Amino acid sequence: MTIITSVKNLRLKFPGETEMLFKDLSLSFHSGEKVLLLGTSGCGKSTLLQVLSGLVPHTIDIPMKCEEIQIPDRWGFVFQDPDTQFCMPFVDEELAFVLENLQVPREEMTSRIRSLLEEVGLELDDIHTPIQHLSGGMKQRLAIASVLALKPDVVFLDEPTAFIDEKGTEQIWETVKRVWKDKTLIIVEHKIEKILDFADRLIVFTPGGEVLADGDTSTVFSLHKEKIKKYGIWYPGAWDEYKRIPTVDNKFELRNTMKLKNFKGYRSKENKIVVDDIMVHSGEWITIMGENGAGKSSLLLALMQLIKTSGNYYLNDVHVKKTKDIFGLVYLVFQNPEYQFLTHSVYDEITYGLQKHQEEGVKEILTSLELTNKMNQHPYNLSVGQKRRLSVATAFLQKPSILLLDEPTFGQDSVNTFKLLEWLERERQKGTIILMVTHDRHIMEQFATRLWEVQNGEIVTDHQLKEEKELLDEFIV
Amino acid sequence: MNSLFDAKHTWLHSINPSLKLVTILSLFIVAINIHFLDLMVGFLCVILLLFIFATGYSYKQLFILSLPFVLIFLSTSSSMILFGKGETILYKWAYIQVSEESLIRGIHLGFRALSFAMLGLLFALTTKPVKLFYSLMQQFRLSPKFAYSFMAAIRLIPIMVEEYQMIINAQRVRGVEQKNNFLKRMKRLAIPLLSQSIRRAYRIAVSMEAKRFQSDKKRTYYYKVGFSRNDLFFISYFLLMLGLIYILSIHDPFLPSTDVRYLPE
Repeated sequence: MTIITSVKNLRLKFPGETEMLFKDLSLSFHSGEKVLLLGTSGCGKSTLLQVLSGLVPHTIDIPMKCEEIQIPDRWGFVFQDPDTQFCMPFVDEELAFVLENLQVPREEMTSRIRSLLEEVGLELDDIHTPIQHLSGGMKQRLAIASVLALKPDVVFLDEPTAFIDEKGTEQIWETVKRVWKDKTLIIVEHKIEKILDFADRLIVFTPGGEVLADGDTSTVFSLHKEKIKKYGIWYPGAWDEYKRIPTVDNKFELRNTMKLKNFKGYRSKENKIVVDDIMVHSGEWITIMGENGAGKSSLLLALMQLIKTSGNYYLNDVHVKKTKDIFGLVYLVFQNPEYQFLTHSVYDEITYGLQKHQEEGVKEILTSLELTNKMNQHPYNLSVGQKRRLSVATAFLQKPSILLLDEPTFGQDSVNTFKLLEWLERERQKGTIILMVTHDRHIMEQFATRLWEVQNGEIVTDHQLKEEKELLDEFIV
Repeated sequence: MNSLFDAKHTWLHSINPSLKLVTILSLFIVAINIHFLDLMVGFLCVILLLFIFATGYSYKQLFILSLPFVLIFLSTSSSMILFGKGETILYKWAYIQVSEESLIRGIHLGFRALSFAMLGLLFALTTKPVKLFYSLMQQFRLSPKFAYSFMAAIRLIPIMVEEYQMIINAQRVRGVEQKNNFLKRMKRLAIPLLSQSIRRAYRIAVSMEAKRFQSDKKRTYYYKVGFSRNDLFFISYFLLMLGLIYILSIHDPFLPSTDVRYLPE
């Protein structure tokens, strides 16, 4: 088999870092291989893709050195964030941008655009559709279409499903498998369930950027499972093996209730979510599921009184009418932790808004966050997992009665995810009501006590999970 | 899109954007050189005619969009009316001195500002940014590097607006507005907003190059922006109408036709 892309003795260091990201890394890929790269965040997988495609150092200026590098003649790159890989406002214009770069004659463009969209299964009535109107999954398929236009031999995929819900993820992988059956694919991905059967080679990196294992999937996982587990890399069966801490029920320090009656949330005068009649008590952990745009986030914003609402909303028997009524009682953790950071150091972030006498507990919190040595760093300089931990910790400090969370486990490694969920579980046992928007079925199965399914701005399913296990099984089927 | 900016496609929309830009820029220069009130009023009417009947927007939309015009008129004319020099005093109180000359000059200035604003809005309402940049690349050989950077930046604006709202909300949850003043809050908003935008712009740039965008290479164009009969009509409309008001002001002045500039004898 011919080698289509390779690198020999790669050395690479980010400016300002003391450690080298790669030290004498050598890898080669055969044509037609489907390779999956695994590793903790920050281990350099994405950077490696950029090196192999030549984006580093030509476009992205990172100092690097290698003895030999073979960059494929025809390659394409699918990026992670659906909102930052397009430069034009409309679907047809975006694909036309790629065709223009390839100097395709204007007369051929419309038909090429149509056939590209057809190939990735994007059936639009009008090809002149604003990209903004597409769902995340559709945007990523548009990204695949624009890479298809390049007719690549090698395709680099950098976590293309990281921001996409389960349904969109399935569609993306189905499309990739179909359109690039015979091409070389080099994939970085955390959510491995959907592609493990498709990959015929697996490379696992250590957090230090060295190759831990390289081989076919089953061999790698059986030989190196302990290390993979320790690093926090998701592996098949991670959830099944996870033993959750035992629950102690009905011993709440606090007794909180939330009652909603004919409660409605509005966004720019449009009714986005309706709740007829619902009662929630201490001890409940509710997972909110539903497709993108169904109204899950609107529900959280409405409960936080950040959008206009109508109807009745009682919190511990107090009628909530404005934001002030719930300040300190309800807390919403946003999906992007950076939005909620207010100060310039981790320490200030934790002590923000605290009284002097409360500051004694800070050391303890820092230790439990494993952030003691990062105390004086800017929150933006933390890793993805550390940022998330810090943002949840600031929520706990307010000691809210109700904790609302929007996809808190997105993009987190397994170690972090489990730690986060255990924290939340501890808070739940203290009596904090937890409402969490998530796409992760496992969280619902192992932690939640109740499930709300949101569809078209309404809660269409409301299941008690602990008492009615049968109903849950039914839902999953 | 916002319903305020939905419009019918009229002949004004299909004019070559570069030509429209050049025409409107030259009209700005014409406006600066008009010193007679009757000419100014005529000039404004010529623009108003297009603005009302040719943009394809409904009267209601145009009315809402024209509301800021009142402010523009008042702010530019008032200071000249109240403090301008003049001999025929109409009203005087403390530093305020309204004379016939200053009144006419103020109104003249207000109309000039109005004509600027209306021309600008006329252009903005009937030109798609994407078409403008395609036209600039094709007619004026604007470097694709700049053209596509601008188009990508325009795409980022709505994303930024959404993000701005999100950050305000996220910080409100932490109790920001209860405790801090406006300036501090702006500082807090600027950092996350800027850091996200810079990151986003950078990622778009990388993805554009991954799609083989090279500014120095020859390229084809999806939209071919050429010229049509509408362009001829557009230019002749202004030439004829401006000529007409000029002749009219000489032969049949409907307003005192004096130079509004203050020229002491």
